[in-house]
Order: sequence, then structure tokens, then C-alpha cells
Amino acid sequence: MRAGFWMAVRPLLAKFHRMVAGEINWVEALQAADNAAVLGELRAILLNGLRISLRDRHEVSEAHLEDFAQEALLKILERLNQFSGRSKFTTWAHSIAINTAFTELRRKRWRDVSLDALLADGRELNEPATMADDTFGDDQERVRLVAVLRKAIAEKLSDKQRAAIAGSLEGLPFDQIVGLLGTNRNAAYKLVHDARRALKQHLMDAGISLETIRTTFAE
Amino acid sequence: MKPLTKQQLVGLINSVDATRDQELNCADCQNFAAEFAERQLVGLPLNEALARVEQHLVICPECREELLALKKILETSG
Repeated sequence: MRAGFWMAVRPLLAKFHRMVAGEINWVEALQAADNAAVLGELRAILLNGLRISLRDRHEVSEAHLEDFAQEALLKILERLNQFSGRSKFTTWAHSIAINTAFTELRRKRWRDVSLDALLADGRELNEPATMADDTFGDDQERVRLVAVLRKAIAEKLSDKQRAAIAGSLEGLPFDQIVGLLGTNRNAAYKLVHDARRALKQHLMDAGISLETIRTTFAE
Repeated sequence: MKPLTKQQLVGLINSVDATRDQELNCADCQNFAAEFAERQLVGLPLNEALARVEQHLVICPECREELLALKKILETSG
């Protein structure tokens, strides 16, 4: 009976080894009717990746990791036709698992932030108390750069743009900023992109070269 | 709002500096993240699409955080 068991299991093990080595088509294997073992293998790989990437996050338990891996597995199955083959399948799968986990952790961390608080932070963004002239020391060019930036934030941006940038600087997830501002992702992207463009133009108009910025902050 | 740290202000100024007329969004960035991470780890050159990922990473702390996590997995698991 033992010999029969190994006879049955050996091809399966060989299949997993080839799969891990990248010799088997994961997409095909996952789309097969008898995909339970392959799903289990992929789930274990994702779980291991999540343990590595989140090992410094002490608030994350093993149960959280298992939930993230399971949720990611469902997303991967939904998106199998989006896998382009430009990377290893497992790297692509890990990228989805990481996005799933980090999105949820950010949502939990920032769930209590209100629109009023976000707008208040936006109003304070260009205050000297928030953005001090001497943040980078008392070098004249650096002090001027911060002062010009503060002026641009005050004069060139709308309340919503200031709020979105303030939220982003504080680490608020983009999806949450979108929700608080009562807009959609595309509109919020445009809002922030337009804000950055306006600030960039203002810095250039004030004679602050991009080269100065790069050399100042490359340190 | 708490006073911005030097690191936060550098992040803001870098994101302004990196602003381009045409940019990827986070979903686009995620589509390329696996390929980008693999190529970066072995030092392969980036094509035009992947160069736009690099630009997005300057302006987006969330995608940057996720890419670092992905690279950590690849480095650890070989």
C-alpha cells in the first residue's frame, strides 16, 4: 500500500518542483478542473511572502496573514487572464498579495480620519509652523526654496488640492483621500496631478531650477 | 497639522520635481510592478514603460512601499 501511495504522489511532487522552478504554466494549472493542490501550493507561497514582507509589523497576526493570502488568491484567480508573462508568475502573484495586505492595513490605520480634519490639515499646510523655512538648514537658496513652495501652495492650490497633498504627506491612503473628498480615483488623480504641475510651474517661474532641487535633495 | 519632517518635505519637493504631463496611475504601476522588481534586482535596463513606473514611484509613497516589500520577498526567497 505504501508503494502504491508513493507511485500516486510522485508525479504530483515532480509537478510542484517543476512549477516552483518556473517550468510549469501556473495559469494553465490554476484553470484546470482539479486545481485544489495547485491552489494550496500557491497559497503557501503567498503566505510565505507575506510573512517576509510584514515581519516587522507587529500588529499583524498569523490569522491576518492567512486572510490576506486567501483574499489575494481570489483576486489572482479573477485576474489570471491579465498575467502577461513578462515576469515570473509567482512574482506577479506576490505583487497582488502585497497590494491586498497593505491596502487593508492602511485602511484600518486611517479609518477614523474625517473630512474636516483633512481640510484643516490642508489649510495649515502652508503655515510656517508646518513648513519651516529652515527645514533644510539656513542656506539662503534652501530657505528660499521652502518659502517659494509655501507661497505657491497658498496661492496656486485649491482647498481640496491642499487637503489631498496634506493627507498624502501624512500617509493617508489615496483611496481614503478619494472617499473623504467625495470624488473618484480619476478625478482625484487629476486634482493632485494638476496641483503638482502648478507647484512645479511656480518654482520654475520663481527661477528655482530643477537642477537646484535635485542637487539640494540628492544628499 | 504636525510640522513636516525633512523627509516629508523632501518627498513633496521630489514629487513636484518628478511631475510629468503623462503619468501612470497606481493600477498601471501595479501591472508593471513584478517585471520592474525582477529587472531592478538583476540590474537589467528599464524600457520606456518601466521608466514611467520609476517616475510613478517618486510621486506615490504607497506604490513605493509595496515595491520595496516585493523586492524584499524576491531578495529573501532568491
